[in-house]
Amino acid sequence: MKLKLGIVLVVSLLLWGCSKEKATEPDPLLVLFEKPSTFPNTSYKMESNPITEDGFLLGKKIFFDGKLSRDGTISCAECHNQPYAFTHHGHAQSHGIDGQVGPRNAPALQNLAWGKTFFWDGGVFDLDLFSLAPIENPVEMDERIGNVLQKLRKDASYPPMFKKAFGTEEVTTERFLKSLSQFMLTLVSANAKYDQYKAGKASFNTDEKAGLTLFNEKGCASCHPEPLFTDESFRSNGLPTDFFRNFVDTGRYRITELKEDKYKFKVPSLRNIEYTFPYMHDGRFISLEDVLDHYTDGNMANLETLDPIFKQNTKRGIALTSKEKSQIIAFLKTLTDDSFLKDKRFAP
Amino acid sequence: MKKIAFALVLGISVFFAACETSDINPNDKNSVSLYFENLVGTDPIVLNTKTYTNASGEDFTISTFNYFVSNISLKATDGTELKFADKYFLVKESVEASKTITLPDVPAGDYTSVSFMVGVDSAKSVSDVSQRTGVLDPASYGTDNMYWSWNSGYIFFKMEGTSSKSAAANKGYKFHIGGFGGMSAKTANNLRSVTLTMADLAKVRKNIAPEIHLAIDAQKVFKSTLKIADKNEIMNPTLGTAVANNYKDMFAVEHVHNDKM
Repeated sequence: MKLKLGIVLVVSLLLWGCSKEKATEPDPLLVLFEKPSTFPNTSYKMESNPITEDGFLLGKKIFFDGKLSRDGTISCAECHNQPYAFTHHGHAQSHGIDGQVGPRNAPALQNLAWGKTFFWDGGVFDLDLFSLAPIENPVEMDERIGNVLQKLRKDASYPPMFKKAFGTEEVTTERFLKSLSQFMLTLVSANAKYDQYKAGKASFNTDEKAGLTLFNEKGCASCHPEPLFTDESFRSNGLPTDFFRNFVDTGRYRITELKEDKYKFKVPSLRNIEYTFPYMHDGRFISLEDVLDHYTDGNMANLETLDPIFKQNTKRGIALTSKEKSQIIAFLKTLTDDSFLKDKRFAP
Repeated sequence: MKKIAFALVLGISVFFAACETSDINPNDKNSVSLYFENLVGTDPIVLNTKTYTNASGEDFTISTFNYFVSNISLKATDGTELKFADKYFLVKESVEASKTITLPDVPAGDYTSVSFMVGVDSAKSVSDVSQRTGVLDPASYGTDNMYWSWNSGYIFFKMEGTSSKSAAANKGYKFHIGGFGGMSAKTANNLRSVTLTMADLAKVRKNIAPEIHLAIDAQKVFKSTLKIADKNEIMNPTLGTAVANNYKDMFAVEHVHNDKM
């Protein structure tokens, strides 16, 4: 009996010793997710899906695999390219299978652990459930999740990876979705020049400083508050509704069917905004200059749901001089996080 | 003579009454099965090939007739309610085996009513993906999808077919009814609860596993003012509410089998 206790004690000490060592000397490869000190708590329940290196690697392989689409041509990475903060570079609306075009611009994939809802209309409320939508959308991947799992089961490389990540070779919906989440959760961008400036490790030039002040004073920060640069709300910024000839995108209304949600879209994060062009839910603006022109020129549509912040002046929108606009853009470019855009862990 | 007869009747009554109570041993358990027979009027549904006429005089065929059943409970004559939590079933007209739901380990007793929800309750509809197995696994549907991936939620009831009155090019109609009330915003809630009293009690005994035979009349989906000519595609929750209000009344208990095993 005493011997047994002794063994248990020794084993416990050994294990404790191991875990302690890990905590003090982390292997840089193994630290896949860390909450930046300036960020709030995650919305994603991290404990429901602990990120492991094997889970991450499996998720990454799936992310870059065209098997997710009906004809094998479209992977997640098709519309989410890392150098552009995982957006579809140069595409106003994203192109999917058979060259089909959907009505929306592929959003950036970054800081998803803090996302409360997903898509421009917030139709999905759980990151784990997100990937089903592009897979099953007829203009994106046009495939059935059941078929995708079958294809992975038949691919000799996958079952061993599922075993490494989850203990057995079984390919299930939960494991598939959770490994994808593990990969996506690691896409944390919190090391822009702005973050270094806040930490006292970098300095802003005159324009960047003036831009930051204007960003706060002119109300941009009211919808795009730091550190995530989005408040995750749905708002109308007065985009004219006749952009598409045959289709009016009602945004959040499509999900809630509540009148007050008509033409509202998710406020996007401004992190890496320099590279996520074109802008807006339908990619109608090519440049940041175009975006700020929309906010300042008084050409906002007088929609019944237009956000009150744009109704404070005689002219709809925000009053900015051209110099102020260029200063705000100078500040926005400090939100570019090169270490994120070039992080080799996220490359195939 | 009268007195003797009275005594005899009394004696027999007491004897039977004793029998009645004594044959329910609370430690005995058996299963109860629910059989969902899908009909149009009183005739079993014939998929694709048979043409029916709805209350508005419109012809229609049925190619798909699916619905989720959950939160089943049985109420005993003594008022106790037996709940079958965390059990979800998908009844499909095209899959015979799906029409029988077996509830195991029901304590011996006389059950007087059965209740269930048509759909997947809101708690389950927002649950972690680890909770979505069996008929709740989005990978299990194949081409007969019962899950909205773009507006997270299950399709509680799905009915499709054709009608010459449909304005669609292919003359099809599609009713996909979902909507659990919304995660953050309050949206249409098309979950419906059904309680059916059984004229014949379901008598669970050690040697009796009752089968409750339900008759589901698809014709009821079209009651009130639902016309295929007006709307051949109903796939959003607010429009779906009228359909859910109709189909909640399509369920009835036809009879109960209490056959000894």
